[in-house]
Amino acid sequence: MDSNRTGWGLLAPTLIILGVMGLLPFLYVLYISFFDWNVFSASGQMEWAGVNNFRRLVFDSAFLGSLGRTLLFTLLAVTSELILGFLLASTLLRDFPGKIVFRTIHALPLVIAPIAVGATWRLLTIPGFGLAPYYLDRWFDIDYNIGRYAEQAFFTTLAMDIWHWTPFVTLTMLAGLTAMPKEPQEQARVDGANRWQVLRFLTIPMMMPVIVTTVFIRMMDALRIVDEVFMLTGGGPGNATRYVGIYIWRVVFPQTDYGYGSAMSLLVLYFTIVLAWLLFVALAQVGNQQSSS
Amino acid sequence: MSSRRLLPLLVPLMIVSMILAACSAPAAPAPTAEPAAGTDTSGGDSAAASGDTSWWSEAAAPYAGVTLRGVSESTPASRYVEEVLAPMFTEATGINVEFEVTSWDEMYQKAIQDMEANTGIYDFVYIEQDIIYTYLGRDFLTNLTQLMADNENLASPDFDVNNFTSFIDNFKDPETGDLYGVPMEAFIKINLYRTDLFDDPDIQAAFEAEYGYPLSVATTHEQYRDNAEFFTAYGEENDMDLWGTTVQGHTGHPSATYEFVESIAPTYGVYNWGVNLDTWKACVDNGGEMNSDTAKEALNFWLDMLNYAPPEATSSTWDEVAASFAAGRAAQGWVYGENATWIATDTDRSAVVGNVGVARSPLSDGVLEEAESGEGYIGYYDGGAFGVPHSSRNKEAALLWLEFIGQESVQADWAVAGSRIVMNSTFDDPKVQEADVATNGYYTMLKDDGPLYRGAPPFPFHNTLRESMDPFFWQALAGELTAEEALDQACAAAEAAMVQLGYGE
Repeated sequence: MDSNRTGWGLLAPTLIILGVMGLLPFLYVLYISFFDWNVFSASGQMEWAGVNNFRRLVFDSAFLGSLGRTLLFTLLAVTSELILGFLLASTLLRDFPGKIVFRTIHALPLVIAPIAVGATWRLLTIPGFGLAPYYLDRWFDIDYNIGRYAEQAFFTTLAMDIWHWTPFVTLTMLAGLTAMPKEPQEQARVDGANRWQVLRFLTIPMMMPVIVTTVFIRMMDALRIVDEVFMLTGGGPGNATRYVGIYIWRVVFPQTDYGYGSAMSLLVLYFTIVLAWLLFVALAQVGNQQSSS
Repeated sequence: MSSRRLLPLLVPLMIVSMILAACSAPAAPAPTAEPAAGTDTSGGDSAAASGDTSWWSEAAAPYAGVTLRGVSESTPASRYVEEVLAPMFTEATGINVEFEVTSWDEMYQKAIQDMEANTGIYDFVYIEQDIIYTYLGRDFLTNLTQLMADNENLASPDFDVNNFTSFIDNFKDPETGDLYGVPMEAFIKINLYRTDLFDDPDIQAAFEAEYGYPLSVATTHEQYRDNAEFFTAYGEENDMDLWGTTVQGHTGHPSATYEFVESIAPTYGVYNWGVNLDTWKACVDNGGEMNSDTAKEALNFWLDMLNYAPPEATSSTWDEVAASFAAGRAAQGWVYGENATWIATDTDRSAVVGNVGVARSPLSDGVLEEAESGEGYIGYYDGGAFGVPHSSRNKEAALLWLEFIGQESVQADWAVAGSRIVMNSTFDDPKVQEADVATNGYYTMLKDDGPLYRGAPPFPFHNTLRESMDPFFWQALAGELTAEEALDQACAAAEAAMVQLGYGE
């Protein structure tokens, strides 16, 4: 009984902080999502709306388009970062000249604030002044203008995210690969397995916990991307890079449509949880199949 | 630590240092927080500028040590307040001023949230002319007339509302006439052009040979287009970084919508963004004008200008447009007047000093007559005031601050630094007249043509309406929608947004 009390006493500060910083805002957002509340409305007051805000979401093609764009961005960004990060981590396991310098430089983007990353990429890509449009035009005759061409803007935001977060994936993969026992791989090679078979049947299954954790973290981050993209393109051109975070920001702040914005936030939270759960179940099944085989 | 182990740490540091050093030299002049060159940043004669300093110190005695917090958009006029007027006020009164000068979006976000939640973070906020109707509708602001009447001992002898231009009327309650904001900036959006190019005899001859009429500052849209086309070709032929016009066409920022509805559409005779203020409808079928043939003609003209604008046009807000013009990259363009003085005089930031002319925008037939009669207007009269939020915990000290910036004696230097004038007497100040010569008549134009320009329509839902329209203008600028499609969709979205807010049902 005493140890129970001590346990709860030690947990209490954390639980209180979590409750105040996490649970209460969530409950408040949930509450607001059932109201029409816009500072600029004729009444300016909160008015009960029932589930109307959620019904609006289903028919809001701009929001749904934004959600789809975000999912595509997340899929491409996380996949690319995972592959690149794994390859870089594998490379960093070996010795080569300048390895430590490379590893340090490679990790630098991680310590840069997202808003600064956006500003740097804006300076790099701004039409008329940036290095990227200048050299792409001069060397390859490519008219690179992220203020005008939707595909270019989308892939530039993707490249920016990959540049920013691949080092994180590399470091987690490197930690996993370094901690992995060497004996099973040596045994497999003695038994005649080639490098691909070692990777496919040993390394990847053994790395699965690291991969799953990394994918979860990156997926949740990518789904709520705002700062860098807002700085780089503002969500444009048109709707090309108006990811769901920027969309919600515009509804909640410039439009001050708090009720509708809250409903959007909850739907995105729901999607994130569902995606994370599906991913977890799928990867767990893969892990079980591999361990049983 | 051995040198072998230090090396990996030092090399990246050196690389980062070199990159940062290289980044410190900007590729193009950009607006900074510095007042314009040649500007007296002392605020003029200090004693005169602060009026009777003994009165200020006596009146402020009960509030000495209080800290006033304010938020404003980062404009030349606001930066002058932050750097010059706030320290002067603190020196005269002992009241501290913490002034956040931030981006336009963030300024609104912070001010509105503070006033809506009644948190009392801010003691004074920037009230742009276009948002005053919303703030009044929500009782966000303190009645300054009443506050002065309740605190007669705080009524400065140097503050008189009658000294202000008629721009102050924007910040009065239409019914009672009570004041809710003290104007701090007012300017018009003008057509800037390069005098060195337009006055060059060789260029004039080349233009006339090609178009069959003399080169001059455009008074019609057709002429503006010809000028833009000519100078773009001229820049290309002579391997110059020169284009025919600016376009404030950022495809992800509200400034693009603003340029069209406030500076282009009115020159075609489409006013109030095309919204019928009686019915709150925007589409032609419902009595609005947003998607009228005239509005579509105006949008087609503006989109066509992208062909003659620098490549950065689709990434340019109001700041970048001014920077592009100052860098000498456009022969003519629509630029907010607050930038006129530094572009025309500041050699540190502008490559076109001494070569800047100011003019009205090109107009369609009949628009000038409508503006002169008061039925319409030819462009945007921008500006704002400082007001005291109803949630402020230091209303009396904030009143003193507003009276301080509303003194006649601080206006002239502020006018030169920020290209803004809010008092009639400022036009006659020698410093302003000197700046008028340097800008080829900007201040004269502000005085004489000011009545032809107008602020934003009295929408009580300004931001929401504009946000509903933005995506269609962005898509049109990106070439995803035609002008016709963009305006048809924008007017429908605008009507839906107004209905959602409880207007025009």
